[in-house]
Amino acid sequence: MLEKLGYTNVRHYVGGMADWLDHQCPVEESQPTSVGQTASPSTRPLATRHVSWLEIVANWPLQRLIGFWLGMIVVFGVVYWFAGIAMGWGLQAGSVPVKTDLEGFGTAIYFSFVTALSIGYGDVIPLGALRIFAVIEGIAGLLIFGCVISKLVSRRQEDLTAEIHRTTFEDRLDRVRTNLHLVFTDLGSVQQLQAEQGALPGQVLRRLESTVRVFRGELQTIHDLLYRSHVEPDEETLESILANLMICLQSLVEINTLRSAANGQSMILDAGLRSIGGLANEICGECVPRVYAPALKESMDQIQELARRLA
Amino acid sequence: MAMEQIHNTIRHSTISHDELRARLRDRGLVIVDVMPKETYAEGHIPRSINLSVAEIENKARQLIPNLAQEIAIYCAGPS
Repeated sequence: MLEKLGYTNVRHYVGGMADWLDHQCPVEESQPTSVGQTASPSTRPLATRHVSWLEIVANWPLQRLIGFWLGMIVVFGVVYWFAGIAMGWGLQAGSVPVKTDLEGFGTAIYFSFVTALSIGYGDVIPLGALRIFAVIEGIAGLLIFGCVISKLVSRRQEDLTAEIHRTTFEDRLDRVRTNLHLVFTDLGSVQQLQAEQGALPGQVLRRLESTVRVFRGELQTIHDLLYRSHVEPDEETLESILANLMICLQSLVEINTLRSAANGQSMILDAGLRSIGGLANEICGECVPRVYAPALKESMDQIQELARRLA
Repeated sequence: MAMEQIHNTIRHSTISHDELRARLRDRGLVIVDVMPKETYAEGHIPRSINLSVAEIENKARQLIPNLAQEIAIYCAGPS
């Protein structure tokens, strides 16, 4: 498209944003800027952002998180137990040192759990340097357990949000389909009147204007749904919408051709048609929708052709 | 004929991922994102400017006055 405007050195990055993201390259989020502004070093540093270990752990899936938490408790339990064997002092229950046999191992694991959950009954206490370990375990246990809980809560929340998104999306698509059908019916009757009377009398012209407005609104909705939604329409739905869009555009083009011949002037209509052409062009543009449904290329091309004739 | 040849070479000129990445800081290359404003705002290649399909005709000359300017153009995905 830029080439048509006279630019001679245009190169196409074929992979597009999808490829860019696949390579995990840096991405910028912002409001649109102009060339002048981009000359300033306003981009985020290209170095990957520093991520703390806690963030990494928090991003783990739930099962791994629970596994890590349990593993940590066992490891600390073993440390307490080994301390008893290696140095002769480790944990103490009441005023008696915990034994180093299997029973002692059980006590060490029990103490580890009580510490990690920050229960701290105090029936078993660590001695000497083990107290440092116990404090570290307490902190880590609390943080990781917090992550587990928040994961559980947010998982339910995410399911709900996705469900809401999906239903709203389907709802809107259904409405779009119905409305497009209404637009088509309306255009049909305008076309009929046009055939009967040759030119468009004022009243019919007003009606056409209003239909064009509704049509424009529907196109805007489709545009938003395709480009901004986080849900993807299935191919069948998209196909039916595109088919509806095509017949609407087709009759609009026909009406418009006749209207221009019979010099029915209307600024509102012209602006509406231009805007419809532009939107239809973008809906079937080089970008987003073809990622959804490559098989629909043909009808998209037809729509683009119609849109060009309209705009 | 000659015009058509030129046109074809232009059309098929591409830029690879590696080159684009390597030249992110190169001011001699203007990166153009042709997606709609909203999509652009959600995430784009650093330093790219937004010229959605709808705006290209009206705004291109204003944003990129030099016709010989080297431009890398991209959209959502493989196309």
